Amino acid sequence: MTDRETLLKKLSALQFAAWELHLYLDTHPDDCDALELQKKYNCKSKELAELFESKYGTLNHMSGSGEMWLKNPWPWDIKECAI
Amino acid sequence: MFQYEKKLQYPVNIKNPNPKYAQIIISQFGGPDGELAASLRYLSQRFSMPYPELKGLLTDIGTEELAHLEMIGAIVYQLTRNLTIDEIKKSGFDTYFVDHTTGVYPVAASGAPFTAAYLQSKGDVITDLHEDLAAEQKARTTYDNILRLVDDPDVREPIKFLREREIVHYQRFGEGLRLATDKMNEKNFYAFNPSFDVQCNKNCFRRDNMKK
Repeated sequence: MTDRETLLKKLSALQFAAWELHLYLDTHPDDCDALELQKKYNCKSKELAELFESKYGTLNHMSGSGEMWLKNPWPWDIKECAI
Repeated sequence: MFQYEKKLQYPVNIKNPNPKYAQIIISQFGGPDGELAASLRYLSQRFSMPYPELKGLLTDIGTEELAHLEMIGAIVYQLTRNLTIDEIKKSGFDTYFVDHTTGVYPVAASGAPFTAAYLQSKGDVITDLHEDLAAEQKARTTYDNILRLVDDPDVREPIKFLREREIVHYQRFGEGLRLATDKMNEKNFYAFNPSFDVQCNKNCFRRDNMKK
């Protein structure tokens, strides 16, 4: 696994944990522990997303456009073709 | 509105192309219990959902289904790269190839093109949530069948992730249904539709009774 893939996997895991709690909180809006935990995961994923984007290019339109947006691999690209 | 995040919800890296697998798995792209139908179902139904918890649930799960649609598209795309005409003929992929080459098109494994007839948006919270619970189980069964047909671990891993998501969504919809029935009048779940009939919530009902 390349450094890019390792970092993306870590970021995806954090974002997934936050997302899973987000769905849970739709039906359990008063669960303070879950809210706290979700905040923690959101904070960590924001930090890691910034690190990822500084190294490997933008993940969404808010953090860069043009070449920044176009040059890094698209999610369905296969590994050997990824630049 | 929707914004795009340039990453998959769960990674897809398939080393060995396999057009037969692609032809099976495309059913979760445009088939009767696929991710496109799921997403359209929830993102359509949400407009008539009566309670904020349910508006949230339908919006969020409908959005996640779009991410699943992207994963299935990536799986099909990676399974159909660098194919020879011989491989296409032998695998039976020729019947898809003739119409779409290796483009990803929303279609069932049987070849039936995607149709909105796969889903319903009934404007009734009880009816719609029961459809949603059934939809999650139908998708889970389809993923179980894919896992019975596919041996390649590169393909099985993302499919197993998607299968688990159906189970979590089923759980959340079940909680949504319980929440809805708690808010409605217990004796009249099926007599009133809170997104159409005005006085059907538990509290409205009590207020009416007190006035009398």
